[in-house]
Formats: sequence, C-alpha cells, structure tokens
Amino acid sequence: MPETPARSFRLGVAGPVGTGKSSLIALLCRELSGELSMGVITNDIYTDEDAQFLRSAGVLDIERIRAVETGACPHTAIRDDVTPNLIAVEDLERDFAPLDIVIVESGGDNLTATFSPALVDAQIFVLDVAGGGDVARKGGPGIARADLLVVNKTDLGPYVDVDVARMIAEAGDAREGGPVLGLSKHDPVSIAALVDWVRQMTTTVAGGGHVPIDPGPMAPHSHLDSHGEPFTHTHPDEHEPGHAN
Amino acid sequence: MTSSPQLVLAMLADARLPTGSHAHSAGLEPAVMAGLSDQGRRLDEIPAFARSRLRTVTATEAGTAVVTRHQWLAGGSLSGVEDAWAARTPSAAVRAATRQLGRGYLRLAYGLWPEEMAAAFERGAVPPRPLVLGVIGAVTGLSSRQVAQLVGYDDVQTTASAALKLVPLDPIEAMRWVLQLHPDIDAMADDVERLTEPAEIPASGAPLLDEHAERHAVTTRRLFSA
Ligand SMILES: Nc1nc2c(ncn2[C@@H]2O[C@H](COP(=O)(O)OP(=O)(O)OP(=O)(O)O)[C@@H](O)[C@H]2O)c(=O)[nH]1
Ligand SMILES: [Mg+2]
Repeated sequence: MPETPARSFRLGVAGPVGTGKSSLIALLCRELSGELSMGVITNDIYTDEDAQFLRSAGVLDIERIRAVETGACPHTAIRDDVTPNLIAVEDLERDFAPLDIVIVESGGDNLTATFSPALVDAQIFVLDVAGGGDVARKGGPGIARADLLVVNKTDLGPYVDVDVARMIAEAGDAREGGPVLGLSKHDPVSIAALVDWVRQMTTTVAGGGHVPIDPGPMAPHSHLDSHGEPFTHTHPDEHEPGHAN
Repeated sequence: MTSSPQLVLAMLADARLPTGSHAHSAGLEPAVMAGLSDQGRRLDEIPAFARSRLRTVTATEAGTAVVTRHQWLAGGSLSGVEDAWAARTPSAAVRAATRQLGRGYLRLAYGLWPEEMAAAFERGAVPPRPLVLGVIGAVTGLSSRQVAQLVGYDDVQTTASAALKLVPLDPIEAMRWVLQLHPDIDAMADDVERLTEPAEIPASGAPLLDEHAERHAVTTRRLFSA
C-alpha cells in the first residue's frame, strides 16, 4: 500500500531449521535496541513459537514483534509471494515510525530458500556447526551469495567432530571471498563482530549506498570451456519450479 | 495498453498471483480440524463443503463484488456496499481474514492500476477482498458474470489446494472436484450477476462455518491463517 512513513533497513535472516536464526535475532535486539529503533517479523510454519520465543526473551517491546503466517509455504512467503511479509513490514514502519531496522526471520526451510530483494535490502544466511562441516562447502544460493554467512554454534565444534576453522575457510571459498562469520552466543568477540556488521549495514543502506543482491536460485559457478579455459556463468532458466501454493 | 478481460480473468484466477492468499484455506482447515472428512476417510465431504460455501458465504462475497463493480462504474460510493458485506458476515474472524486478503489484492492492484485504485480506496484503507475485486473488475472491463465466476472459482480452487496439504489426496482427484463444481459456480453466478444494489446482496450465512472460523482464529497450531 503506498503509505510512506520512513523506510527502514529490511534485513532478512534465513537458513535451515534450528541453526539459530531466532537466537541471532534475539542477540541483535539485545545489543542494538538501545541505539536503533527495531522491529521483528517471524515466519512460523505451524505455530507462532518463534514470535513467542522472541517476545519472551524480553529484548524488545512485544508489540514490535509480529508473526506472519505462511500457509505451509515458508519458501513462497519470502520469495514468490512476499505480500504478507511486506504488509507486516509496512505496518511496523507505520506503527513505530521512524524505524531504523526491521529484521525478518524466514521459516526454517531448506538450503535453497533465500529472500527476494522485493522484501529485504540485505540478508544473513545462518548455518550451524552441528549440521555438519560439509554443508558450507556444498554451497547453494544463500551460502554462496547472502550478504553475510554466519557459521553458528562454533562452541559445539569439539562435540560434533567439526573443524570449525576449516568449515569457515571452505565457506569463504564457496563465497569467493564474501564475508563469513563464525558465531557463538558464548563468544563475545564473535557477537561484537556480528553487531558491527549489522550496524554498518544499517548506515550504508540508510545512506542509499547498498544495492540489494539477489542470491538467486543458483550461484554463478565455473566450467571449463572448449579451449580448456574456466568460465563463470549462472543458469537463468534452471529456476526451481514455482511453488506458489 | 489494452488487455483482454479474458486474460485479466485468467491472471486473477491464477494461484501464482502474489496476494498472500497461499496462507488461506477458504475455511477448510478450520472445518477439517472440527472433523470434516474424518481425516480424509470421507473425502467427498470436502467438495460438498465447497458446494455449501458457494450457496452461502461465497454467494455473499460474489454478490458484494458484483455490486461493487456496478456501483463503481455508476460513479457511486462503496461505503454502503462495504457495510452491506459486513452486516452479512457476522464472524469477526471471517471479516478479518477477508480484509487481510483484501489488503493483499489491493497492494497488487495499486502496483498494476495505480490511478484507478487510488481513486477507489483511500491510503491505509483495509477493504474486504470482494470490494477490491469489484473495482478491479470495473477498471479492467470484466463483466459482472466474470467477477462472480472469479470469486466462486477462487473459493473452490483455494479449498481444493488446501485439501492437498491437509488430507491424503491425489491432486488429480482435487482437480476433478473443481471441474465437477463448475456448474455450481455458474449457478451461483446466475444468482448474483444482475445485482446492483447493496440491499440485494445475499444474506445466506453458514453459522457452523463461522463458528469454526472463530475457533481457528485462536488456535496456536495451524497451517493456514483461515
Ligand atoms: N551451543 C549453542 N547453541 C545455540 C547457539 N545459538 C543457538 N543455539 C541453540 O540452537 C537451538 C535452535 O536455536 P533457534 O534460535 O531457535 O534456531 P532457529 O534457526 O530460529 O530455529 P527455527 O526457527 O526452528 O528454524 C536452540 O536450542 C538454541 O539455544 C550457540 O551459539 N551455541
Ligand atoms: Mg526460529
């Protein structure tokens, strides 16, 4: 709806189920709500538990945390039909104008779910160490091209036989140098790095210095051409089949 | 640019239309939770449910859309139509869901037909879906019959697609229901296509569906919003 209270920085947080999206958002609210005016939207699949979790964390006024229903299609709600999420973002911007940042948590979905640039200005993709050290190397659009890749729960590395430093290095390779951040809620240095990234991105977006990047359905990748030279391309016509319902 | 009403109709009836309606089940999930189809053991209750809706709540919605279209083309105000719809939709949960859908359609329509929509709806308005559909029909050249068919078809198709998520069901069977309900959709359209005044909108409620909708609005475990 063409109402125009000040537009906030819209930050998406995506990633597989249980990797720590809600925890990361709670942490950002705890660290940043003193200096930024914030709102949060959760995309639950069956309950409003994510919204409840964040409200009960006591890190943000509960009125600023809203749940959007996704009709069993969390992927659709952040990608092909972002209408309910955009309406929720606009409502928050109207009710708490001026808002600096609205964080949208995707419903825990598979590795290929990424936010449409029609919904968010930037996105964080969250993996965790417990999901296995190979996940980052295997790649996928969110891993390869989200604005920031978080490898969460680094404290768990020794318990799940994952070499965290190596996992982060392989993630860096999959991202061709794009930022990767190892995070643990028990590691204050990593928390400060995350908060800094969000703070800087908020300033950059507010200043108009950021063009949303679409991680897209498939990251660019390399083949050898007929002369044996590598070339990089994407597959524009290999989009996932529509998933509108 | 001119576009043909038939193609506008196809576009509006397409499940891929970005209006947020994928989070809705046309009242099917509330009914299934209350025992309709006995977890899929009596599947024929689902098309019967869709037929009941066409004769009751969906006729009200289609009548509202048809009257909206007429009033808008005649240069009248829509507030009387909205009141007539609300008076015939006693469940607050159903009204809220219909307004939620209306916002989604309005958001899309503002994007596609900005001037026409701005003339019909004030900024920040939260009209129920049939009002938005009626105005879209008016500005894109849909006939009153096409508007009524769109509302009927959408309701049936929403029910059938939601059923695929809620009960064990072959998608071809679900589409057979939709096909077999075509005469019912047309019969409903026959009844409402000539309506022009808010007072003529059918007031044929379905109290049990309203009760299900009210219960659904407060449940904490559900796939669909309504
Ligand atoms: N050890 C450890 N556990 C963590 C960390 N961050 C989150 N967790 C735990 O991981 C579990 C899942 O966290 P959530 O934040 O709910 O994950 P989510 O991605 O929001 O989950 P869904 O919304 O269900 O997809 C919880 O039990 C958290 O306490 C961390 O840094 N270290
Ligand atoms: Mg969560």
